[in-house]
Amino acid sequence: MILEFLAVGIVISACLAIFLDEAVYSVVALTGTFMLTALLYALSGALFAAVFQFAMGVGTLAILFLSGEMLSKKPPKIPKERILSLIAVGVLLSLPILFLSISSQKSAIEISFEDALWHLRAGDVILQGLVVLIVSVGITIFLYERKEKGEK
Amino acid sequence: MDFVVLSLIMLAIGIYGLLTKRDLLKVFVSVELIATAATLNFVMLTPSSNGLGQAFLVLAFATDTAVGALVLALLLIAHKKYGTSDVAEIIKNRTRKKRRRE
Repeated sequence: MILEFLAVGIVISACLAIFLDEAVYSVVALTGTFMLTALLYALSGALFAAVFQFAMGVGTLAILFLSGEMLSKKPPKIPKERILSLIAVGVLLSLPILFLSISSQKSAIEISFEDALWHLRAGDVILQGLVVLIVSVGITIFLYERKEKGEK
Repeated sequence: MDFVVLSLIMLAIGIYGLLTKRDLLKVFVSVELIATAATLNFVMLTPSSNGLGQAFLVLAFATDTAVGALVLALLLIAHKKYGTSDVAEIIKNRTRKKRRRE
């Protein structure tokens, strides 16, 4: 039952994130989506996924909140009717999930997270590390050249 | 199958936002929602004893974060250059500048 409530919460906060006009409120709603998704993962037994989702949610909140605050004008007051109608839309949209009843699936295959990440997907992990390294070297070179130009 | 419905609804909301919203920050929020909808499937379609889904999720997060950083950089550049984050306004300003040059 908790999972169904979480699913409804996710859909409502996703609706609020898209339909609220003010950027800052929209970012807060998006963070709600991330946090509820992390909770959904944790309750489904996927703890690593929950931790990663939570960390990513917090990071995105910090960056988006700053940029939203920086780029948007002073937030206007949102009428209560609008928020209530958005929540109603979210509940309506999440009805199919409630009727289909959420349940986790089971299978006979058991692979641990470490095995999956380091043995099965090791190539991907190494390639992503390489990409991050190249990007960071590129940024360093770009900043160095900019500094050199500034000095000249 | 059940979580696929949740994922589909989130995907639909994200695509709707992507198609209708003109603010770049809203576009970014829509992209994040679509990414969350996609990653939800990785975890929910594999059982908790199977770590493969979570491993895929971690890899997907890395890509998602890179996309997010790129969109935010574009947003900041556009706002600095044109003074707005509205896509329609940016296109208008660009066409005006092009006409002036011609």
